Parts: sequence; C-alpha cells; structure tokens
Amino acid sequence: MAPARVNAEKQDAEDELEMKVEKYSRGKGADLKALRDKKLKGQLAVKEKLYGQSAKVAAKAEKWLMPSEEGFLEPDNLEKTYRFPQESIVQEVDLLSSRKPFDMILPVLGPYTIEYTSNGRYMLVGGRKGHLAMMDMLNMDLIKEFQVRETVRDVAFLHNEQMYAVAQKKYPYIYNQHGAEIHCLKEHGKALKLQFLTKQFLLASINSFGQLHYQDVSTGEMIANYRTGLGRTDVMRANPYNAVIGLGHAAGKVTMWKPTSVKPLVTMLCHHGPVTALAFDRGGHLMATAGVDRKIKIWDLRKYEVVKSYAARGQSLDFSQKGLLACSNGSQVEIYRDFGGHDYRLYMKHRMLKGYQVGKVLFRPYEDILGIGHSMGLSSILVPGSGEPNFDTFIDNPMETTKQKREKEIHALLDKLPPDTIMLNPNLIATVRAPKKKEKKTKKEIEEEMEEAIEAAKNTEHKKKTKGRSKPSKRAKKKEEGVFRAKRPFLEQSKEVVGRPDKKQRIGEEVELPKALQRFAKKPQS
Amino acid sequence: MPKNPAMRRAKPARGPEKKRRHGPRLPTTMRRELDAMGPAPTRGSDDEEVSDVGAEDVYEYEEGVPEEEAGKNGRYDAVAKYEYEFDSDASEADEDVPSEEGEDMEEDENDDGEDEEKQIRILQETTGMPREAFDGKKRKQPLELPLQHGDGPVTIHDLLDNIQGKPGYSKVRKRLQQQEKKTMVMAAPLPKVEREKLERRVTYDTSRGELTKWERKVKHNREAPTLFFENDSNLGVNTIAAIANEFKPRTEFEKRIAEITRSTEIMEAHKNDGAKILELNKIDVEDVRERQNRLAKMRSLLFRHEMKAKRVKKIKSRTYHRMLKKDKLKAASADFEADPEAAKDYAMKQEFKRAEERMTLKHKNTSKWAKRILKRGLSVQDEGTRAAIAAQLQQNALLTRKMNSMKDDSSSEGSSDDDDDENDSEAKMLNRGKEKILKVLEEDKEIPNSGVFSLPFMERAMKKQEDAAYEEARQALEEYDDSLRKLEDDNTEQNEDLIKVTGKRTFGPAKNTHKNVNKRQKLEETENSDSEYDSDPAQHLGDDEATTKQDDIKLGTALLDDEQNDLYRSFDDIMKNPGPKTTFEVGMLAGDSWKTVKSSKGNDNDITNKSKLQAPSIVDLNPKQWDNNPDSDSEEEMVEGFLTISDTKESYELPSQAELIRQAFAGDDVEAEFEKDKMEVLNEENPEPEKPALVPGWGQWTDIQQKKGLPSWMIKEHEIAKRNREEALKRRKDSKLKHVIISEHVDKKVEKYLVRNLPFPYTSKDVYEQSIRMPIGPDFNPAISVSALNRPAIVKKPGVIIKPIQYEEVDPHQKPDEPKRVIQRVTPNQNAKKASSKQSKGATSHKRKW
Repeated sequence: MAPARVNAEKQDAEDELEMKVEKYSRGKGADLKALRDKKLKGQLAVKEKLYGQSAKVAAKAEKWLMPSEEGFLEPDNLEKTYRFPQESIVQEVDLLSSRKPFDMILPVLGPYTIEYTSNGRYMLVGGRKGHLAMMDMLNMDLIKEFQVRETVRDVAFLHNEQMYAVAQKKYPYIYNQHGAEIHCLKEHGKALKLQFLTKQFLLASINSFGQLHYQDVSTGEMIANYRTGLGRTDVMRANPYNAVIGLGHAAGKVTMWKPTSVKPLVTMLCHHGPVTALAFDRGGHLMATAGVDRKIKIWDLRKYEVVKSYAARGQSLDFSQKGLLACSNGSQVEIYRDFGGHDYRLYMKHRMLKGYQVGKVLFRPYEDILGIGHSMGLSSILVPGSGEPNFDTFIDNPMETTKQKREKEIHALLDKLPPDTIMLNPNLIATVRAPKKKEKKTKKEIEEEMEEAIEAAKNTEHKKKTKGRSKPSKRAKKKEEGVFRAKRPFLEQSKEVVGRPDKKQRIGEEVELPKALQRFAKKPQS
Repeated sequence: MPKNPAMRRAKPARGPEKKRRHGPRLPTTMRRELDAMGPAPTRGSDDEEVSDVGAEDVYEYEEGVPEEEAGKNGRYDAVAKYEYEFDSDASEADEDVPSEEGEDMEEDENDDGEDEEKQIRILQETTGMPREAFDGKKRKQPLELPLQHGDGPVTIHDLLDNIQGKPGYSKVRKRLQQQEKKTMVMAAPLPKVEREKLERRVTYDTSRGELTKWERKVKHNREAPTLFFENDSNLGVNTIAAIANEFKPRTEFEKRIAEITRSTEIMEAHKNDGAKILELNKIDVEDVRERQNRLAKMRSLLFRHEMKAKRVKKIKSRTYHRMLKKDKLKAASADFEADPEAAKDYAMKQEFKRAEERMTLKHKNTSKWAKRILKRGLSVQDEGTRAAIAAQLQQNALLTRKMNSMKDDSSSEGSSDDDDDENDSEAKMLNRGKEKILKVLEEDKEIPNSGVFSLPFMERAMKKQEDAAYEEARQALEEYDDSLRKLEDDNTEQNEDLIKVTGKRTFGPAKNTHKNVNKRQKLEETENSDSEYDSDPAQHLGDDEATTKQDDIKLGTALLDDEQNDLYRSFDDIMKNPGPKTTFEVGMLAGDSWKTVKSSKGNDNDITNKSKLQAPSIVDLNPKQWDNNPDSDSEEEMVEGFLTISDTKESYELPSQAELIRQAFAGDDVEAEFEKDKMEVLNEENPEPEKPALVPGWGQWTDIQQKKGLPSWMIKEHEIAKRNREEALKRRKDSKLKHVIISEHVDKKVEKYLVRNLPFPYTSKDVYEQSIRMPIGPDFNPAISVSALNRPAIVKKPGVIIKPIQYEEVDPHQKPDEPKRVIQRVTPNQNAKKASSKQSKGATSHKRKW
C-alpha cells in the first residue's frame, strides 16, 4: 500500500515537473527528421538539447526556489466566498497581513485616484482637487504630501518612485519624489489619463481632444502624437504584454494603438454604449471591458471574441497579477476569479459605506491587496490570492535597497526598447517577414537580372541564312542589337529605382546664375 | 616478415632492379622450404629476394653494384667468403638488426664493401699506387655456383644441381619435373588501356579509402557546436590509477608488501572468488532447450501466418472480397456495440476521411475524368457515366455533411455523470427523452441539394412536413419540461457547477433544471451575442458550430427561445413576479434592427409565434440579468464592520422610458456606424475597382458598337479586379469578425526588425522560427546553460596556431553534444603515426607525416 502511494506521488511530481518543463521550453522544437541539411540538423539537435536542459533546470528551480503558492479563500461546503466580510478575513490572516488593509477618510479634496509602483512598494495618491501624496506601503509612512491647487485628473509613476507624472488642469507635470516640479509637458495638452510604458520609457497620455501622445521620458523626445478622431475619452490602459495602448471610446469601440502607426491597430466594437473601463490581463491575451450598456465583457485578444459576458456595471476594472478581476460599481467592489477555462465567477464582494463612490480599483503588485480610491478617500482590502507570491528580483523587488534601485535604473535604461518594437505580437521580431505583393527590386538585383538577360541574348543561335545575310559582320550586328534590346528594360528600371531623373540636369542647364556668382558654380565636367 | 615500416617503404623505390627478375623463379612456397633446409647453398638465387626484403633506404644506391653481384665468373676465392661470413656476424651483433630468418645478409655485404673501400684507400695512401692495383684483390661472389659458360641466365636446374644429395632434393626435383611437363603458356600481357584502367581503379579505391577515413572526423568537427583550439598541455599523468599502475616497490617494506600482494596464492584466491561468482551464472540446459523450442514454434507459426496472408492476398475474386468486406463490417458493427473504444476509433477514422474529403474535394468533380465529362456535357453521357458521377457526388455529400460529433455524446454523458449523485432517475429519464427528441429534430433538417428533393416544391413540402414534426416534438418537449419543473420544485438543492453550453447541439443534455440559474445565464449570453451581431449568427453562437445554414440557426434559436421562455417562467414562478415584462416590450418594439418583433412575450402558451422569432432584443434581458446577480445571495446581508455597510440591498430602479429608447437606438447606431467604418477601412486598404466606362467618343461610332455595349475585355478586367478584391477581403484576419477591424497596414518601422530572407542554412520558415523561439540571454536561462548557449563556434586563445587537421580515430556513436576540444600536439602523437603507417600499406610513396 505504502510503496504504491509513494510511487503515485513520485509520478505526480514527475508529471508536474514535465508540465513546467513544457512551459519553459516555449513550444516544441522543429522536426529535425524532415531536415535534409545534415550540418544544420546536427547543430539544431545540439541546440535543442541545450534548450531542453535549460528548461529542465528552470523548471527545477521553479519547483524548489519558488515554493509559495497563492492561497484563495476556501469555503466549506455550503459557504460562499463572496459572503466573507473583510472582518472575518482579517481575523484569520497573519499579523503582518492584517495590518495592511486600511481606510483613509479624506473628505475634503475629492475623489481619489491611486497608483502603485511596479514593485508594489510605493503608492501615489491623487485627489481631484489637487491633493498629491506618496506613501511607502511597506512601512506605511508618508514620503511626501503636497497640494497643487488645481485639478488632478490622473497620476502615474515613471520607471520608479523617484519621479511621477500628474495630469493636472491644463498640462501634465512631472514631479520628483520630494514634490519638486521637474517638467511641464505642455505638448500633451489637457491630459485626462496617463500611462507609463516601463520597457520603452514612454509616457502616453490621452487628452480632452482625443489626442494620443507618446513621449520618451529618458530623452524628452515626443515620439508620436495621433488624433484618435473618436472623441474625448478617459479610458486608457496599456497592455502589459506588448505595451499596446487600449482606448475605450464613447461609441462602444475599443481601439489599440502603437506609437508608430497613425491608424489604430485594432478597432473593436465592444459595447453598445460608451466604454467605461478597460483592463488587460498580465498575459496580454485577456481584456475586460465595461460599458454603459451594463455589461462587463471578457475578450480573448487572440481571437477577438467574447469569452464571457456579464450583466453588471463597471466604473473601473483591474486584473491582478494572478488573474483576479476587480470591478467597481457605485460603492460596491466585486472581485471575480477564473475557475478554469475563463470561467470568471464572483469570488469576493466588498461594499463601501453608502454614498462612497469608488473611482478606481487597483491591485497592489506582489501583495494580496486591492487598493480603492473613492470619493471620500482611499482604502485597501485584503483579497487572498491576488498577488504574485514569488517575486523575481531581476524584474521587481519590493524590498529593494537604494543601491539595487540605482543599479536597476541603469539597467533599465540600457535595456530600453525602441518605440518601434511595440506591436501586437512581439514574438514577431526576428521572424521572416511576409513577402510583399510588389516589392521594388534593388539595384543589385536589377543588375544581376540584366546580366542574365544579356548572357541569354548573347547565346542565342541565329539561323543560318543565305545570300550574304549571314556574313560575320551582319551576325555581329544582330547580336549587338539583341543585347541592346535585352538591356533596355532593365536600364529603365534602374533609373526608376535610383530615382534620379534627368530633370535635375536639365534644370542645371537652364538656370543661369547671375554673372557674379558664376565663378562659384561647379564647373561642368567635360 | 619484418614489420619495420621503413623497410617496406623502400619497396617502390626499387624500380630499376625489378627488371632483373625476368628469369624463371621458384614459387615462393618452394623457396621457403629450401630456406628452411639450409640457407647457405641457395644464397645466390635468393639474393634478389634478400635485397628486396632487407634493403634499407640508406643502402639503396649501393645495391646496384654489379661487380660484386653479377660477377659470375668465380674470380673470387672461398677465403674471402669466409671472411665475409665472419664479418656479417659481427656487424649483426653490433647493429642489432631484427632479422628473424637470418637471411638478410645484404647489408652486411655492403658493410663489407665499405670496409674494403676503406682498406683500398688505406693501401693507396700508404703505397701511393693507383687504385686499380688493389682492385684485383677484391673478393666477391659469395655463392658457390658452378662455372658458367657464356652469359646465359641461371636456370633452376643450375640451382638444383647445387643441392643434389641433400634431404628433400628428390621431392623438389619431382615437383619441378611435373611442372615442366605442363607446358606453361604465359598469358599475353594486357593491352595498355586495360592495364591503365585497372591501375586507375586500384588507385581510386585506395585513395577513396584514404579520404573516407577522414569523413567521420570532419563530420564530427562540423557538427560540434564549438571547436576549441589549444596547445597540448598534457603532462602525461592522467589519473591516480595510472600513477598507481606504474608504481614500483623500492624500499624494503614496499617490496615485502608487493611480494605478499602479488604472491600466487593470493592471486589464485582472487581468481577463484571470481570463478565462484561466475558459477552462479550458469543456465539450466532444460531452460535453454525449452526456450529454443518455444522460439522455433513461434517462428513456424509466423511463417505459416505469412504464407496464409500471401495466399489470401493473391485472391482476385470479386465476390470473395465483397464477402470479406461485408464480414468485416458486420464484425465492426458488433464491435461498436460491444466496446466504445472501437466505435470511437471508427468515428475517428470517419472523421479523418471527412476532413480529408473537405480538404481535397476528391469527389467533387475535381478529377480529370469528371472534368472531362462535365466539359462535354452531362446530358450527352450515357446512363452509366451519369450514375457514376451522381454516385461520386453522393459520396462527396456524405463525406462533407456535418455529422453529430462524438463530443456531444461525451458531454451529455459527462453532464449526466455530474448530477448522478444528486439527481433522481426520473429527471434523468425525462432528460434523456428530451434529448432524443432534440436529436430527431436536428437530424431531420438535412435537405439534399441535388436530385428530386432539391426541387422547390419538394423543398416546400419537406419544410411543411418538418414543421409539423417539429411542432409535435416541441409539444413533447413542453411536457417534459413541465414534469421536470415539477421535479425541480421538490428539488431545492442548487448546484453551482456549470456545464459548458455551447451551440445549439448541446443544450439538450444541459437541460437539468436544477442548474437553472447558471444555464439561464449561459443562454442569455448566447442570445446576447446573437442579438448583437445577428446578421452573422453562426459564428457567435458557438465556436464549434460553424453551420451556415440559415434555417438551422433559426431552428436553433427558436428552440432556444422556447426553452428559455419556459425557464424564465419557471424562474419567475419561483422567484419573482413577472412585473417588469410589460415595460420591456417598449424597448423591444423600438428596436428596429430585428426582423421580427415578438408581440406577446408574457404569453407563455403562444408557441407558434415564438418559433418564428429570431432573437429578442438585448434590452429586455437586462432587468432579468440584473436580478440574476443578487439572486444567488439574494436576501443575505453582509455583516456590518469595517467600512462595509449591510443595510442596503441593491435596489434597482427601472430606467425611464426615454432612456430605454435612447439606449436601444444608441445601440443600433453604434453597430451601423461601425459597419460603415469598417467598410471605409476596407475600401481604403483594398480599393474598389473602377467601373468600366468608355472614354466619351471612343468606341461609339456606330450604332452596332453602342448596342454591343462595353467591350468584353473591359468587363472581364473589371470582374477580375472585383474578384481579386473580394479574395483579398476574405484573406483578411477580420473577414469573419464583424465587430473587429484589424489594420493590415504594413509598418515600415517594424520591418527592420524582421528578416527579409530566410537565413542561409535554413530552408523552411518554421524550422527557423522554432530555432529562435528560446531566448538565450542570462535573464531567461539558468547560469549552467547560458554559457553553452552563447559560446562562439570557435574558441581560441591568442597566439595559438591552428595546425592542419590531424587524423585520429573518432567514435562514430559519440554525439557531439559537448564542445569539441582540438588538442594540438607539438609532435604528432604516437598512435596517430601508427595508424597512418597501417593505412599506408600498399599506398604509393606516402612520406607525409600526419
């Protein structure tokens, strides 16, 4: 009995490892048997073996070095997880976690919006009426708090907590952590929403005229400025997978943008009314949208199809690192969880005090916490299973020291991606591009073809003719003619490619310089 | 034969000497025999052979000294010979030349010659007389040959005379005589062309062998991921074992220990121990015999089977094969009933066949034969051909028809399994009945598109019939539903598990009423999607069902409606009063995009009307969806605490009429607008071709021209352009997605990140793309493999000279996984040399050292 169980366990462990290995080997290798080139086959076989080893080691590392798993609320047979109030959850969790949820009542300076750094350590709070504050959430202390005395529409951290952008009444501004204003980004205009693309160091904003701006914050260069032409909107989210910006519009459309294309990459008709909120999953394949038509839809972005549709209102949406979906509606916050196969069902529910309008919900990275910015301040609640339990210090480190932070900043700058790399499918890079319908030939290609044609013309056999028509001189002449005839179309082509029409020369001839300047003119080569 | 390579190499250099070998010679075997008898007397005849075997490079030039060897006049006395013999012994002792047979005295002779030279020189110097004076002193001719007269060649008889009287002489003589009796005719030498051909072939063979031996090594090097070039840093000491092996006892103590350990007793004991172990390995004779018998039996069985199969295969009789096929089918059908595995297999096979058919369209008049016949006209053909064509088409229709897939069955099974524990058998029975009816309903709507049934009146009649049947079936369904509902009233347990309801096919099995709530959600969804994009319903109904037949869908949706209605009713009976329904009708009526408007939704009994309904509007669903949400936790309150408040239950207020209408219209507008937008984008990316028009004044000179209208080529061109555009539109990614526009615009800035042509060794795009799928950087790989993944093809320290390739044995089975180390030795290693010398056997002058 016992050995059988041990065997079964062993088998299970092996299966698990295999699954992980599959994950790390990123798809299957090529079918080497079909290859005919033996040298390539040998090289690829060696490479594949290395890949396999690497995947295996990575899987093992994951197994042994990242043992913590997210824990969800587990109901007894008749209980429902969404009936658990925060109170009872707080009672059950450990001391450290029980200190994390809080409510901050700030009734004066209006509805609040919040933002976390990518490592989840710092929180930026923006009150509509000009209140800005940055907090260290690890030791819960206020780093800086100040008043800008004008409307604050949105806040966004740049690459780390050292700088952040704030969309204010007329323009977005960039402040440093001490609250000193560093830049005023006038070109963006009256920005309604800000998003920062970390890998590309781009600050994207949408302003009240529906213009989308991309600005490189490392060089200060304005990368792109596009008119969406779809009206004012304040629904904007960046897809963390491919850094494509998603915008929700009043006509029920969701458009996706990249900095190098004037037209949206994808336009989807998602709702029958205006789109109120938008969120992307971390994997980039799922998108959640909420509309005025009282629907929340979850889309598969690979097929552009609805995976799931709910009848519920959503003022703001957010996906957690582990795929929970938070949705706010009036003073109520609902959290959905994927129960397998994109079957999102209600997982938790939280109700604020009546009259508190929730403005923004945002999951805190690497913590099981949902931050809520509402009309009377901000609060945070515990959502078990929302955050990634294992953090990779190469990517984000919530416990970063100053030195590490500096190091990371430099590395991030060195690894900065150019804005062209933003595309719907980033895996496309380095693949073979699809053949164009009509590709212009290069000069070299034209020359090669011409040579071939000439060769062919030279080698054509001429008929033997009588009465002196096959004299050597005649034959030579004929051959020459043939060559010329073969050459002519190519010469015309190359002229097109080079794009230097004779016009220029003619102009040069025609325009006579005044006599005083003629001596400076380039002498005609003769 | 001596194994000294240097000696062998001398062989080809002996060109001029070969010519002297023309005379009759003893066969080698005989010569050996003679040698064994006694070396001395036959020396003369052996001379050439000796020089052949024992000549060293150094002496070659002296070998041709004719005065000493060819001197047959016997000028030299015997004394000189003795001297020579003595000398030879001494020199042999000195030089320690490995001479096994003791007959390579050649070199000694030469030695002698040298000595003599020296002597003469000394004499010359001392006496001052010319060299010729002393030359006469030269002794030569070591052989005791009988005196020769004239220049005739030495015959065998001459040689035989010498050994007369010695033991074995008679034997030799007899054989010789026998040989002489047979008149040997020398074959004429081959013509030069032939000879050269042979030579070339041999040369080719050898050189090929020479080259192919490199193959392995070269292959190895080419396949190795990395080549290291490094100088030999081997100090000669490899392992501890090697050191221990070379250990020699030196001190007293060590010697004594060695004595003990290497004593015979201990060795013996050790050996015995090993033998004991071996003893255990013994196999019983019986076992072996049994095994052999068994194997033999198996082999014979196999053989017989094979023979039988061969015979059966040869049978050409048609009837036989027909019978066989029938039998097989029968067996298979029996099998299906017995075990589901076989049925599944069969279904898979069928599915594969159908897929193949869909791919190839083999039976859809694509064959050469069919095309030809169609070209000539079907009406012209005889009865048989027409029948054949019809049969083929029938086959195609059969194969390409949508089938009830296995999935449905399994899902229904699964669902029934799901509720096994909680559901009573009655409900199950009812469900099953319902399912069956649904199946029947579905199955009967296949309208053949050829033959008599395709005629319009037949179609109409069939439809009528179908409707009637459908009506009947629905009534039955209704009944089932009623009974189910009753059941459900009793059954208060609510199951939260969701069943996947996809497409119209599967809602039959999903009809378990205690899953009411979930199912309703699902249904709403399918319906919603239906209503949102209702002109393309097939696609949104479900991914699995891509049926394009409009009536199918109608039927499906109608069914859906029906059932949904019932469900709603039931739900309302349980939960709520059907109050809001009346208000929704307005919104519904307002929506003009739906083709038919349901007039009386509240009326449950009106069935006939509903069946025509395509899809209800979305607006009317909303309130129900709304109350769907709180229903699960309906009256439960959240506990007060924290910042939560519990007293408010979501109180939903009906939106005003105006708002409802606005929403409905807004939705309509959005869709139409989007469609327009999409059209615009499409036209922009694939512009519509211009309409063909004549340039005014051209082609309109005469009445006839005007009557003719546009020239045919223009129309044709236009059509082609149109078709191209349509194809381009079809090829778009968003061609099937009504609600999506995906820009096909090619971004030039992205293009620089793509590869223009496939990189060299690759020939297929897939292989290339799969080979770059893994990131190789340190961020993505463990430290162990990063260096291996990023190592350059050749690693070499500065200053190391890469020497030409050296030959060494390579294990052919060893895979070149690890980077290969090419270790260059200052002196070519001993093994390599040996191997090369072995290889050069028979090769022409091969002086190159590896």
